Amino acid sequence: MVQLIGLLLWLVIIPVGIGLIPVHFLAADKRKPGIVLLAGYFGMWAVFEVVTIPAVIFVKYNNFKVASGCFMALAILCAAAGIWLACRDRKEWKLTSPVLLVRELSWAERVEWLLFFILLFFQLYKAAAYTSFDGDDAYYVVESLIAQQADVMYKILPYTGRPTDLDVRHVLAVFPMWVAFVAAKSDIHATIVSHLIMPMVLIPLTYLVYYEVGKLLFDGNAQKKQRENLPVFMIVMAMFQMFGNVSIYTNETFFLTRTWQGKAVAGSLVIPALFWMFLSIYDGRKKKGKDIGLWILFVCINMTAGVCSSIAVFLACILMAVTAFCLAFTQRDYKVIIKMAAVCIPNVIYMMIYVVMGYSYLLK
Amino acid sequence: MWGIFLESVVIFKNYMGFHENGYLAGIYLFVLLYLWLTEKEKHKRAVFVYAPTLLLLMFFCPLFRKIFVRLLEDSETYYRLLWLLQMSIVSAYGLIKLCGRHRRIGLAVICVAIIACGNYVYDSEHITKAENAYHLPQEAIDIVDLIEPEEGRITALVPADLIYFVRQYSTNIELPYGREMLIARWDYHHAMYEAMEEADIIETETFAELARQYPCAYVILKEDRKTDKPLTECGYALYEQVGDYLIYKDLETDDAI
Repeated sequence: MVQLIGLLLWLVIIPVGIGLIPVHFLAADKRKPGIVLLAGYFGMWAVFEVVTIPAVIFVKYNNFKVASGCFMALAILCAAAGIWLACRDRKEWKLTSPVLLVRELSWAERVEWLLFFILLFFQLYKAAAYTSFDGDDAYYVVESLIAQQADVMYKILPYTGRPTDLDVRHVLAVFPMWVAFVAAKSDIHATIVSHLIMPMVLIPLTYLVYYEVGKLLFDGNAQKKQRENLPVFMIVMAMFQMFGNVSIYTNETFFLTRTWQGKAVAGSLVIPALFWMFLSIYDGRKKKGKDIGLWILFVCINMTAGVCSSIAVFLACILMAVTAFCLAFTQRDYKVIIKMAAVCIPNVIYMMIYVVMGYSYLLK
Repeated sequence: MWGIFLESVVIFKNYMGFHENGYLAGIYLFVLLYLWLTEKEKHKRAVFVYAPTLLLLMFFCPLFRKIFVRLLEDSETYYRLLWLLQMSIVSAYGLIKLCGRHRRIGLAVICVAIIACGNYVYDSEHITKAENAYHLPQEAIDIVDLIEPEEGRITALVPADLIYFVRQYSTNIELPYGREMLIARWDYHHAMYEAMEEADIIETETFAELARQYPCAYVILKEDRKTDKPLTECGYALYEQVGDYLIYKDLETDDAI
């Protein structure tokens, strides 16, 4: 029971609370439960990064204990602030009952949504009942377990258990530490959290991003004919994930075989989330007031890239730069380059830390 | 530069699975071309047409690859640049757009095309029925339960097929060497690993001497692993058998560190 409460708190309540902060700065028509949850996860990971990286670098003993204590306090504070903001302007929220939403659908759409959910539950069942062997687990999962069992981050070599120096390639990507945090707070073995709990969270979360992307692609102007394509899009996405294993390298393969690893989250959740943001900026509707929440979300997604993998930060910057250039060119809106450069500032700081740590031996 | 370009082509082919008859890339390239010709909305054109095309050009650009590899000091992860294309999102969008009003028949055709050109992930040899909630081999868990000390840590020597799993279950078990020894391209050398895994027949005297340097409180061997002399003649006692594995306890080594 305590375990369930721990999971509920750290995987639902706190992310939803934190998500209410960026969503507060979005136009009322964009305030949807799915967006709150996604914003909450990206916000939570951003906060986790801000707390954990300094702890890894500067705290000598029991750095996981210090980081998780600080993160817990900060996350609860942020979630409380989010809930307070939502209560304060609750009249602005335009939530539609799920029953009404289902009623609006045609029978064909209902069947298609049912098909999609069958595919989703099939993937969840496979993730729970089947094990996918991956050699990298000997590093990432053990890092999480060391943090949970020994209260230290990146000071012990996962392969053997011997003491080690900070390895710059891995220490900044603190996703395994977040897994360890969830494991510690729910009192569940970190390996179970990695292999069993994480897919139950990350697979639906990834499809939630695809849903938001699909909504902007097919539901943007709310025409019925267009909206009907949304469940088709979701089915096709689910099929691509299941049959995208054309090699061991594709993000689809990573998504369903190494769901719990940071790099898989980067490829399947963070990069599609950037696509979601690109489409959100120019979603075809008339600008309705504030969109600063989008840019806050952009920052959080970029910071999540750093939580997942050091290379993901670099990749996110490349994608942002290329797409900003293309958007500026097609939209004749050159300010977008400056805005996108601004949201990449956390990535630049991250890369500077990476370079300083990687080459600090030259200064000695 | 030409050599670097050709390397990028090989990476692209391997990523797309051309060598295993995976042709999802064909669908993607077809959709990209289709969107080049038909996409009218400017922001979608930027995100789904221009940006992926530029990224593909960058991927094959030798100078870009040189900078990427130099900055990250890692050439093995260059393929991840292709993750930025998000082929499934672009393909799904383009295919649905192509189907237009023929939504239902279109969905069926798309699904058949994906199944025909793709590779079912759950057919992978690495995916097997989970034996427990940890998703670890039960034998590894049973062995660790037997040898794990109540307090402190111990070092144990385990066969290669258990190396990945032992410390995923308990970090109280330390290993003389880990997964790094199992990756041939990393090319590490370790005397204990060579004595344990590479010798056709384990030379028990030398083996025991090496194991005691760590010191390994337990040595786990496969039942059919050949030794020139039984371990029991070198100060070890057969502690337990779990499946195919024999657990030997070193009588000359203290248990926990």
